[in-house]
Amino acid sequence: MTRAEFLTRLRRGLAGHPASAIDDIVADYERHFDEAAAAGRSETEVAEALGNPERLARELRTEASLRRWSEEKSVSSAASALIALLALGALDIIVLLPLLMSILGVLFGLFVAVVAVFFAGGVVMVGGPFTAPPGGPFTAVLIGLGLMAAAASVGAILTVVAIGLFNALVWFGRLHYRLLKPALAQGDDQ
Amino acid sequence: MPEFADIQLRKGVLPLCVLAVLAHGDSYAYEIAGRLAQAVGMGEGTIYPLMRRLQADGLVETYLEESPSGPSRKYYRLTGAGRSAFESQRDEWLAFRRAVDLVIEPTSGGKA
Repeated sequence: MTRAEFLTRLRRGLAGHPASAIDDIVADYERHFDEAAAAGRSETEVAEALGNPERLARELRTEASLRRWSEEKSVSSAASALIALLALGALDIIVLLPLLMSILGVLFGLFVAVVAVFFAGGVVMVGGPFTAPPGGPFTAVLIGLGLMAAAASVGAILTVVAIGLFNALVWFGRLHYRLLKPALAQGDDQ
Repeated sequence: MPEFADIQLRKGVLPLCVLAVLAHGDSYAYEIAGRLAQAVGMGEGTIYPLMRRLQADGLVETYLEESPSGPSRKYYRLTGAGRSAFESQRDEWLAFRRAVDLVIEPTSGGKA
């Protein structure tokens, strides 16, 4: 592999990063080739020592998307971190997908239930007093308010749990790809 | 093909080794990669994602300096946080090494 080929493949692998970040990363590797050339090493030898450009690009991309998740907890940053980890092969999709789907399903079901209880609370609070409930109209208002407050707090707890679960997944993925994957990827580095 | 556990070990200590090199003096990536490729047996390309991570974590910072031959070099130096990270990771490593030494060489280990 020549220097130009290595850099082209790296650049292609990095597509999607901000342009300034790509230039920055590519400049690092250009400098590396310059230094090596000054030391009398051949382009092919240097490219080989650097490793597979696609894999390096995936590693750099994963770092960037994990950083985005740690700065901003949103569904889109979670999705991009997850996709990057999967692309790197740091998460085993066959093992994880059913597990993830069932956890996501349970979380989603709980969220729906929480929203339903919240609205039911609203209905009890507003409509309850007109149905002559036991304990008087004021009790119905209080019960309605209580239901809404309980739903809101359970919703907040669910959100925290969801973020925590995803962080655990990210932690596992990072550990996995930093420690285990490089060994397995040695073979396709050539 | 190198041993599986061996590679895990090398990968795990790599950030510590980079911090250690920088603790002895500022350096640029090509030089760091050269030193560690020899000593720890890592791929040279791995250094760049690692340096970016250390920089993003605020452990190292960069500055440009003219080199005697050709274009300017990007030097890395430890930040305050980088230095304390190095010291705590080094202590952890030394304690771990002593513990392992004691297990594998019960007669001579532990004294350093």
